[in-house]
Parts: sequence; C-alpha cells; structure tokens
Amino acid sequence: MRFRDYLSLFLVIILGFIIFQAFDGTIDNGLNIKQFGEVNLSERTSIHYINKDVNNESTQIIYNESKNPESGSANYVTSIIANYRALDTLGEITVLFIAAAGLAFVLGDHNKNNAFASDASFIVKIGVKILFPLLFLLGIYIIIHGHLTPGGGFQGGAVIATAILLKFLAYKDYKLNHTGLTILESFAGISFLIIGLIGLYTDGSFLTNFLANGTIGTLFSAGVIPIIYILIGIKVGAELSGIISNLINA
Amino acid sequence: MILLTTLGYIMIILGSLFLLLGALGIVRMPDLYNRIQAGTKATTLGALSSIIGVGLVNPNWFFKTLIIAIFIVLTNPIGSHSIARSSYKSGLKPELQSEIDEYKPENIQDERSDLR
Repeated sequence: MRFRDYLSLFLVIILGFIIFQAFDGTIDNGLNIKQFGEVNLSERTSIHYINKDVNNESTQIIYNESKNPESGSANYVTSIIANYRALDTLGEITVLFIAAAGLAFVLGDHNKNNAFASDASFIVKIGVKILFPLLFLLGIYIIIHGHLTPGGGFQGGAVIATAILLKFLAYKDYKLNHTGLTILESFAGISFLIIGLIGLYTDGSFLTNFLANGTIGTLFSAGVIPIIYILIGIKVGAELSGIISNLINA
Repeated sequence: MILLTTLGYIMIILGSLFLLLGALGIVRMPDLYNRIQAGTKATTLGALSSIIGVGLVNPNWFFKTLIIAIFIVLTNPIGSHSIARSSYKSGLKPELQSEIDEYKPENIQDERSDLR
C-alpha cells in the first residue's frame, strides 16, 4: 500500500470515530442527539408542525380571497413537497440524477444508431408531428400549475419525456442534444440550491419561502414554490429524456 | 339547461353501451385483426361520447373534456394502426383466410415507401 492509501484509511477511521461520537447518546457533545427511546418529542420540530394553526390563528382560508396564508399554495401536497420538505425533494432529484448518470456511464454511446431498423409508418409520423407540441404544452401546463392543481414538476417532466419518446419512436434518426440536456440539468440543480441559500441568508433556514405569498389560488402566488417546481420540472424532464435516449441508443 | 343535462346523460349511456359492446367484441372475435376493430373503434366512440356527455352535464368542464376528447381522437387510431401494422409485418396470419389482402407488397401500386 502506498502512502495515499494509508492516509485515506486514517481519514476514514477518524470520520467513523467522529460519527460514532456524535450519535452516541451517553456522551454530552452538544449535538443533542439522544438514544432511541429517550427523546423528548416536544423538542423536535415535527411536534410543532402537528400542533399548530396556520398563522397561529384560526381564520378560515377562502380560495381566491385570502392573502398571504402561511404556505400560500392552494395544493397543499405541493406546499409539503416544495416548501416544508423541500430538502427531501432535493434528495429525490439527486437520486434521479445519480440513476441517470449511472445509466449514461454504462450505456451512454451517442454515436450509435437507434434500435429501430426503419422509420415508423406515415400515419405515426404525422400523428407524432401533431401530438409532440400538444404534449409538450401539456407538460409545461402541468409544471406551471403545480401549486394550484394536482400534478407538478415530476409529473410534467414525465409528460415532456413522453413527448421526446414519441419522437424517438417515429423517426429512427432522431438524436437528442446531450450537451443542451446537461446544461439544462445543471442550471436547474444549481438554481434550486441558490434559491435555498437565498432563503438561508434572508430568513435563516435553508429553502424557506422568502417571497410574498400573494392571494391563494392565483397563478402568481405561493412565493418560491412555483419557481422551485418549474426548476424540478426542467430537471426531471431533461433527466428522463436523457435516460430514454440512452436506453434507445444502447 | 335541463335539455343539455338530459342530452349529456343520454350520451353517457350511449357511450357506456359502446364500451360494453367493445368489451364483448374482444371476448367474441376470433383473432387480433378482428379484436382490434372492437378494441379501438367501439372504445373510441364510447369514450368520446361518455366524456362529451360529462362535459354537457357539467358545462364548466366542457372545454377540459373537449381537450381530453381531442387527445383520444389523435392517439387511439394511431395506436391501433401501429399494433395492426407491426403484427402484420411480424407475420401474424388472420384466423379466417380471406382472398383480399391489399397490404401485400405486390398489391401496393404507390411506389412511395412511406405508405408501406
């Protein structure tokens, strides 16, 4: 073994020691992580969320009238996904990114041709020509209205990737621009992190909703939630399209 | 308004009838080329009239149902065309042999390869 290997082994042991110290409840290390079963639940954040009223008062929230409620998103699944548990969503899109990257490492060879020997028939080509812009528009609609109606970034991104799949099915020479996809993905991921850091700077917690919420139920409402969902939509659409392209060209 | 609602319910019932007939056809027909008739033509008309009927019963949803209907009109025939064409090209023979086969390569007069 070379010196570098000894060094990395040493670093791993040090890191393991620190992690063990941090999660050992018997030592008071200032991190306040206790052993299983000895935790006082009222000190955890979740209990605050379970027992609270919106805005600490019991006003009724009226669609299209109430201004600046706590989350501002009419679809409260979205307010959980893109606001309260946005860090979790960041992890999810990272999982998707790693899956796409692994597939690209194994199968990614953009010089190969499609798996199909010939173009699809005339009818399919014309149908795809009509359907492609409609499906793209539907995907964008689902993404933009994620904070108002069911749907959102993940679903709309999947619809956009389906439109790309139709193009692949119809034309055997269809190629995606992988450089453009990479740029879109990186832009969306970095913007997501930057929005989180702006929230950390202004309001003191990562990925908090730092914009005004507006009237609930309108298109321009819910502060940072639609922006985050649009970024998620761009990222998911680009990644799923890349996965489809890599699988078909494999 | 009562006329629209009645018309809507009639269309929903008619559509359900067509969907039922399509399901029966899939059970009763002998092979793929016959089943695809039942599975596509009947269900296209059935789904269309049920959805438009829902739009007539509740006029607020009419344009949304119209969009769904347009998507069905665009996708359903193309899908069935693809299935039938690929099964013909992969050599699936009809159950009942008929004399007429207009899709045989020597029967196609048009030289454009797009149509094959």
